[in-house]
Formats: sequence, structure tokens, C-alpha cells
Amino acid sequence: MSSTRNTSAAPRSYPWPSIAAALAFLVLLLVFPPFRFVRVGSEAPTAVFDPVAYAERFWAEELRPAAADAPALTPVVLAVRADPTDAADRYARKVGEGTTRYFFVRGAGRVIAVESSRLLLEVEEAPGAVVALRTGPVFGNTIRDGTGLLDLNDVPGLAEFNALSSELNRLAERDVLPVLRGAIEPGARVVFAGGAPAPESVGAGPLLVFVPVFAEVASP
Amino acid sequence: MNTRLFSQLASSCGRLLLLLCGSASALLFSACKPSDPAVAASGAPAPNSTRVAVVVSTLNNPWFVVLAETARDRAKELGYEAVIFDSQNDPAKESQHFDNLVAAGYGAVLFNCTDAEGSIANVRRAKAAGIPVFCMDREILANDAATSQILSDNYSGCVALGEYFVEQVGEKGTYIELLGIVADTNTWNRSKGFHSVVDRFPGLKMVAQQSADFDRSRALEVLEALLQSHPDIDAVFCGNDAMAMGAYQALLAAGKADRVKVFGFDGADDVVRAIAEGKITATVMQFPKVMAQTAAENADRYFKGQRDFPQRVPVTVELVTKDNVHRFGDYGRKP
Repeated sequence: MSSTRNTSAAPRSYPWPSIAAALAFLVLLLVFPPFRFVRVGSEAPTAVFDPVAYAERFWAEELRPAAADAPALTPVVLAVRADPTDAADRYARKVGEGTTRYFFVRGAGRVIAVESSRLLLEVEEAPGAVVALRTGPVFGNTIRDGTGLLDLNDVPGLAEFNALSSELNRLAERDVLPVLRGAIEPGARVVFAGGAPAPESVGAGPLLVFVPVFAEVASP
Repeated sequence: MNTRLFSQLASSCGRLLLLLCGSASALLFSACKPSDPAVAASGAPAPNSTRVAVVVSTLNNPWFVVLAETARDRAKELGYEAVIFDSQNDPAKESQHFDNLVAAGYGAVLFNCTDAEGSIANVRRAKAAGIPVFCMDREILANDAATSQILSDNYSGCVALGEYFVEQVGEKGTYIELLGIVADTNTWNRSKGFHSVVDRFPGLKMVAQQSADFDRSRALEVLEALLQSHPDIDAVFCGNDAMAMGAYQALLAAGKADRVKVFGFDGADDVVRAIAEGKITATVMQFPKVMAQTAAENADRYFKGQRDFPQRVPVTVELVTKDNVHRFGDYGRKP
């Protein structure tokens, strides 16, 4: 039994298709990694919401133009006096779910009384229709929610949305209310734009109570 | 020898990798295949079960019982099997519930969380398992975990309550604040909303601020003790209605119920009745039924293929006073 061994040098053959497949697989792994290491708490920090800057920008770039082009006050006041529910259905807007709705209008009236935290105006072109303008501290979400220009999902969360509301109220107190807190006397003509909660019923007081975002006063 | 070994090794590895490559490619292409229009639109697969889990922070408070049972009942009305899980205000229990409902293959979760930040991981775990989560009443502080969140605005409710407080008590007086559970975010949302108004009036002095854990009998004990050192207060602001009822009992026992004004928060039926009877001055109506029904209806829409939900939807809360109390009852507005 003898065996003969071929000792001649065979040409080297590399399994190129397999190597190509391995390389392709590695590329796939790089492009679509099956897992990744993440240090706990190392997620990219979300940008910090700045309610002051957001409110200042919104006030200057969106609210002022919206106030200049707001719907007229008189038809809204007449509608509220006739049927508050119908008026809200036709002219008011709301944010989210719920029954709270707001009007956002522009109009003018004559001062008929100056109270500690508000002015009472008789609306021009609507004799006997009285509305109030807040001149004291501003609270609530009338400015934020009244225009329909802001949405909860524009900001990171509910706390930020409320902070934005507080800042808008602060801007109204800083930029608008001083105009109305001067030596205003009955008979003065006030041109204003602002928001007011839509009432469910009409009582003995003013038809609407506005938070002004713009105001001008002319002496009687 | 080395060359041959290398060739064999490379050949074996290559075959294995070819197989893996083929499998990976098949998986990749099958995963990308839009067989379902909803998936094609959103990337979210359809739930593989139509069972709905209602996970609620506690059933030890009637308000949350209404929230949970309304969510469950609305889900059942819509044709789903629904089960309530009580977290007992314990984040660990809540986490166990999520483990169980993920393992059991529930199709959706209607969720009232125990912790705005701590609960995020649970919601993410459900999401990773393909289970949509619809938050109710309480917010989780993430925008990419829950499918949608329908939220009660505690802060704004207490701003309105604070305004009414100033109107009723006046710009000068003394008051006590009873806080809820100090670890609960709603405790501080309510307190901050209230103080954002009242603190603007320097004549209004808070003479004591103490937690009564949202509990009626605890509020009774706490206020009884505080009245010993502060007998001449004008008002009590309570972080919820259960505490408002406890505070009223303490004032009644001390003979001060007619003089001291009590303010609550929630819109519980007994407090709404007490406002009508002139015993409690005001509360803030949250709408647990509206939130629960909306969450259940959103889950139904998800099952039917909708994927474009707003991340957060606020539900405005409403001040309840003697002037409008006739419009409220049964944890909401009367029809």
C-alpha cells in the first residue's frame, strides 16, 4: 500500500464570495446596529424652554398683528346681549376640551366709570352695552387661550404652558395696563383689543370683562 | 497548513455570514414592507389584542374610582374587555402592573400615573411592546412615550380659585393652607397656582401650611390642632375636597364654621352639595368622566387604525361657587 502525495505547490485560493459576504454583513451591522450602549441619564438634553423669551417673541411677532386685525367688538357684544350661548358658538374659541371659551376682539368705547381694578366702557355703536377692561393684576389664561394662536403642544408641557400664560399676563401689566391707569375720566374714548371669557349668562354687571393687549386713550 | 486553515475558516465563516446576511436582509425587507396602511403611515404595528388595561394611581379616593370605572365602562361599551389595576399610590406596584400587562399582551393602557417622571419608564416599556398608552388626568414629563395625554390643568384651576378667594376673603386676612401628599406633583401645582394670585396681595397672610395627605380625617386632626394656635383665621385653602370636608368638620366642632371660609379642589359630590348649602365657599370641578371617556375613545380609534393623536390635550377645569353650583353634579356638569 503505497500512497503518493502530490507535493507540487497548489495555487492559493481564497474564498472571495464568503469574504465579500462577511464584509457586507459587517457594513450592515454598522448601518443597522442590533444594540447600542447608552450611559444612563446621558440622553441628549432637550432645549430648556424659556417662557420669558417665548412670550416676548409671541407678543411682538404674533399677538400685536393679531390684535390689529381682531374681529370687531360691536357684533360680539350685541350677540352676547341677545344670547350668550349662541354668541360663544359663533365668535368664541377654546383650547383643548372643556366649556371655557374666549372672545378676542378690537373695538372702542366711552368710559362711564373708573373702578379700583377695572374701567367700565359703553361700547360705541351699541348704546347701553357695557364692557369692562381690567386695570388691576391679570390672572388666568385669557391672553394665552383667547387668540387661538397658541397650543399646548407648542411647548414641552403643561407647566411650561402655564409659565407662558403668566408671562403674557406680565407683559399686559407692563405694556398695556399703565395706559389705562392714568388720570382717565368718564367720557374718555378708549380704543382697545383684548380677550374676554365667554359668559354663560348675562347678569347685572358688564357683558364682558376684557384683558387688554392693546389700548389707546383719548381725552373727552 | 496555515493557508489551508485560513481558507477553511474563512469559507465556514463566509457561509455562516451569508446565511446571516440573507436572514438580516429578509428581516429588514419584511420589516419595511408596508402590509398595513396604518403601519405604513405611522410605523406603529396594530395591537395584537383588544384587551384594555386601566391603570390608576389609587382607588382609595372616590375621584379616582370615578376616573377608573368610567374608563373601564366606556371601553366595555366600545366592545373591549377592560380590567382596572390599582397602583395604590406606589410606583413599584405600578411598575409590576406594567410588567404583568405587557406579559399578558394587553392591547392598550388607559393610564393615571403615580409619578410624572418615575412613570415614564413604564410607559416606554409598554410602547416598546407595541402597546399604546393613553394618559388621563396626570401628565408624564415626556413627549415621546405616551400615545396621547388628556390632562387636567390643576395650576390654572387654582389660579381661578385664588382669584375667587381674594374676592370672597378680601385683600386682607389670615388663612391656613392644607397641602396634599407632599410627593405628589398635583399638590404643588395646586399650591403654586393658588399662591400665584394670593401672594400678590400683601394683606393676605398665610399663618400655617401643613400637609393632610389629601385625607379627610387627617385634615380634621390637622386643622383642629392648628386652630388652637390660630383661632382667628378667615379662611382655609385645601388641596382637595376630601380635606375641605375634614376642615369643615373641624371648624364646625370649634364653632367657627359660619365665619371661616373653606375652599377645596376636585368637584366631589359632597362638596358640591356643601357649596349649595352654603357650608363650603368654592371648589374647582375637574372632569374625570370627560377625561376617562376621551382616553377610552382614543384607544378605540387607535385599534381602528388612527395614529395621529395630539401629544397633550388640556381639559379646562371650572370654578364652582354658590352662583353656578346648580350647573354641577355627578363629577361634571349637569346635562
